[in-house]
Amino acid sequence: MSNMLNVSSSPHLRSSHTTGREMYNVILSLLPATIFAVFHFGLYTLLVILCSIASCMATEFVFNMITHRKNSLTDCSAVVTGILLALVIPPSIPLYAPILGGVFAILVTKCFFGGLGQNFMNPALAGRAFLLISFGKVMTDYSYDTVSGATPLAQLANGETIDILDMFLGHAMGHIGVSICALLIGAVFLLVSGTITWEIPVSCIAVFLVMMGLFGGQGFDPMFLAAHFCGGGLVLGAFFMATDPVTSPMTRTGQLIYGALIGGLAALFRFYSGMADGMSYAIIISNLIVPLLDKYIIPVPWGVGAKGQVYNPDEKKKGFTVPKSALILMVITAIAGAALAGVYAMTKTTIDANQEAKKLQAYAEVVPGGETFEYDETITAAIEGFGGAVYGDGAFGKAYINEVAVAKDASGNVVGYGISATTMDGYDGEISMAVGMDTDGKILGVSFTVLNETAGMGMLVNEESWRNQFQDKQVDSFVLLKQGGSTADNEIDSVSGASTTSGAVVNAVNAAIDFYKNYLAQ
Amino acid sequence: MPDRKQGARSAAGLRSKGTEAVLNDRSGIGPGGSLNSMFEKGKHMSYKFRGGVHPKPNKELSADKPFETLLPKGEMVYPISQHIGKPARPVVKRNDEVLAGQLIAEADGFVSANIYATVSGKVKAIEHRRTSAGVPADCIVVTNDGKYNTVAGIGEECDPDTLTNSEIIDRIKMAGIVGLGGAGFPTHVKLSPRNPEEIRWIIANGAECEPGITCDDRLMRERPEWVIEGMRCVLRLFDKAKGIIAIEDNKPEAIEAIEEALEGDDRISVMTLQVRYPQGSERNLVHAATGMYMESGALPASLGCIVDNVWTLAAIYRAVCFNEPLMEKGFTVTGEGAVNPGNFLIRIGTSVSEVLEAAGGTTEDTKKILLGGPMMGMAIPGTDVPLVKANNALYCMTEDEVEIAEGQQTNCIRCGRCIRSCPLGLSPQLMLQAAERNDLDRFIALHGLDCIQCGCCTYTCPARRPLVPVFKLFKPRAMAYNRMKQQKEGNK
Repeated sequence: MSNMLNVSSSPHLRSSHTTGREMYNVILSLLPATIFAVFHFGLYTLLVILCSIASCMATEFVFNMITHRKNSLTDCSAVVTGILLALVIPPSIPLYAPILGGVFAILVTKCFFGGLGQNFMNPALAGRAFLLISFGKVMTDYSYDTVSGATPLAQLANGETIDILDMFLGHAMGHIGVSICALLIGAVFLLVSGTITWEIPVSCIAVFLVMMGLFGGQGFDPMFLAAHFCGGGLVLGAFFMATDPVTSPMTRTGQLIYGALIGGLAALFRFYSGMADGMSYAIIISNLIVPLLDKYIIPVPWGVGAKGQVYNPDEKKKGFTVPKSALILMVITAIAGAALAGVYAMTKTTIDANQEAKKLQAYAEVVPGGETFEYDETITAAIEGFGGAVYGDGAFGKAYINEVAVAKDASGNVVGYGISATTMDGYDGEISMAVGMDTDGKILGVSFTVLNETAGMGMLVNEESWRNQFQDKQVDSFVLLKQGGSTADNEIDSVSGASTTSGAVVNAVNAAIDFYKNYLAQ
Repeated sequence: MPDRKQGARSAAGLRSKGTEAVLNDRSGIGPGGSLNSMFEKGKHMSYKFRGGVHPKPNKELSADKPFETLLPKGEMVYPISQHIGKPARPVVKRNDEVLAGQLIAEADGFVSANIYATVSGKVKAIEHRRTSAGVPADCIVVTNDGKYNTVAGIGEECDPDTLTNSEIIDRIKMAGIVGLGGAGFPTHVKLSPRNPEEIRWIIANGAECEPGITCDDRLMRERPEWVIEGMRCVLRLFDKAKGIIAIEDNKPEAIEAIEEALEGDDRISVMTLQVRYPQGSERNLVHAATGMYMESGALPASLGCIVDNVWTLAAIYRAVCFNEPLMEKGFTVTGEGAVNPGNFLIRIGTSVSEVLEAAGGTTEDTKKILLGGPMMGMAIPGTDVPLVKANNALYCMTEDEVEIAEGQQTNCIRCGRCIRSCPLGLSPQLMLQAAERNDLDRFIALHGLDCIQCGCCTYTCPARRPLVPVFKLFKPRAMAYNRMKQQKEGNK
């Protein structure tokens, strides 16, 4: 029997690219970034990465076992998801996060939809989004080894200066895949080995940079663009996440549009959203548009529609049709992007006016005697002197003093100050408030302008009874009592179960008092 | 019959002269068409096309082995259907004595072809025999007496100048010539288009893009004059036409030999093609020559082209100028599994086992034997099948190679490689989806019927999806369905 010949249908040759080999290439290409991360952030980070990989693999294995499917671990796609998920979470995150994220990524986005090739969005990014929604605090805490601070992008958004070379090399705060240099080495390998093609990363990064240049407010300043190129998840997303074959279009035209869409959305998110970086959401949203792109962009075979053509030697050869349609669609995307930005620019004055009005209303609320609110030049200059840095060198956490309005009564006498303060230590990031003070430094009232805390918990700080704890008190600084039962003037009861939010608010109010003492008290 | 050794020597001698003069002689092609502009850009600009793949060419196994003439010893088997169209009608009976070059089955209708005995001997039977397709078919079996006595009159020289156009076509038809590149379409039909005055290009297909096969290459190196004289015979039929010999640029010796032998003929020129599979597909060559894509379902003649394999042209030359029927052709035995890969001149009807033996047999780990190249060839179930007119190679694959090719399937990962690689610009992934859902309308709407089954999509698929195998099964159904639909519409 052994000498019988095999019979099969042609072709009898296959290229060396297999699904497993593709995944293997991606793993190889991610190694430089992973190894760098372990050296940079420490061994705990290695544990995070391993947990993520193990969780992804175990989830797939168990699911296949329970549903009696063929073991699909050999295609290595679970390992890729595990590494990618690890690269987009903070380095010192508690281990339950990568484990839960991996389970969600594999189980919900991949296995439930039919396994390899059937997931509707990038599993690793879905896992990240899941973690970000569920564990906002740990997912935005980028501190490691007692080093803490803001990510370069957050610093950039706050107007601080950053070192682009450090960002490029990866000596910065950020998620585990922070080294742009190491990522680019992997990206070159992916391109050279033919695992990915140039269309998606090139159109994504090009559109991103053009949008940044046009609407970023700083023109095509190379340093500014370089900072945004190196910051956040742009490189990781453009080369490793967006190019995931399963969730990207199959045709070249589709890929160009898809890449442009990601680049455009990422740029819009960086400027016009509360998040410092929206690359992962840009990719997830574009993933959802892929089926549409693939439905409507079906390549027209060469020669179709050429009915009845007779060769005419005088007629010049026509250009390629595919790049042309790609160009048209690119132009449409660019116009749509420009229109979005234009609408924003047009409505910006109204939005600004509304925000100004809201702020004034808040000031009026916290300084009851004030009739008019004015800005004092010396005070404004003092605030500008901080250069957008954290107030008090971190003594009040990540608290910022934004501006101070001087309240005057009808006859023009100064009756108090409205101090606008922001803290980034809220459970969900930013909390902004107006603190009203009379000329003696007595707190008149506290009113929130930005508050996105957990409903029923952190949001309770907005209750009048809680806010009133500050009212009419003149102290050096407030102290938060987590257990409650305050007696002294300077003691504030924490909202039950929301000590993070309460603490952040207390810190911000303390910052305002400190500012009063240093700059406003005569 | 021309002296083969003589031809080989003269070609070898000519090759040493250098090629500059020939390279400059590329201006005369096409009345201001794309070829002109293409060649103006650079001296050696090879034609490229969209799509395609790069399998390992694997030509080195047999490219430097000259043709060996292989005289068959065992019994000869002639299937009566060796071409596209109606099977030929046997004109001999059991126990008839036949000579080499004697007509044993004649064309039945216009689209059909004559079949000749290629050895002398006795008709043993007319019966069902296994053929390379795997199913038994009617065959004429001749026992070989080993004398190779030939019918009188074969090999008589004839000056084509004395022949009229219809006499040339008659000679081609009589000789039973069909497309020798693999399709087997009767050549006299191809040379009688409805619009003879619009034919501008006769394209000799010497691309030989299938991995491993070298018999076209060897023909052009050893007998460039056969190809060129064959081309001249065809050019006589079409006043306005120019000849193009299309060769992939990994065959510099062949290009050189042809260019030398052309001696500055301003009606025929060489077109080099970039090495890429499937450069030798008809649609591709027509695009290379005209810069235009053939309409879906059209014939090359609609764009003023006629495409013939170089071996077909050689057969035309021998039929027209030497009154020789199609009895013999070049054949390559190659692949990792062949002990002594090489090129042979075989007589049609020889059994595969005999040819394999001549090439030293196969290695022990040979697991698959292909009739044709590894991209489009057919795996044969056994070696007891005869070679027919359109066969051009035996490719022996070892166990390891087979294992690599038949590796594990995974789900489609939607990478789009099949779409990029399709030389026709089709969307194989969507076509496979349609076929798997049994959606005939969708398959037809995706132009699935245009698929030439070149295998690029399947070659490149990382998930090892069975694209071409499914299309092969699904296409005939879709075609039947399409015809039925058109008939229904016609009835309304």
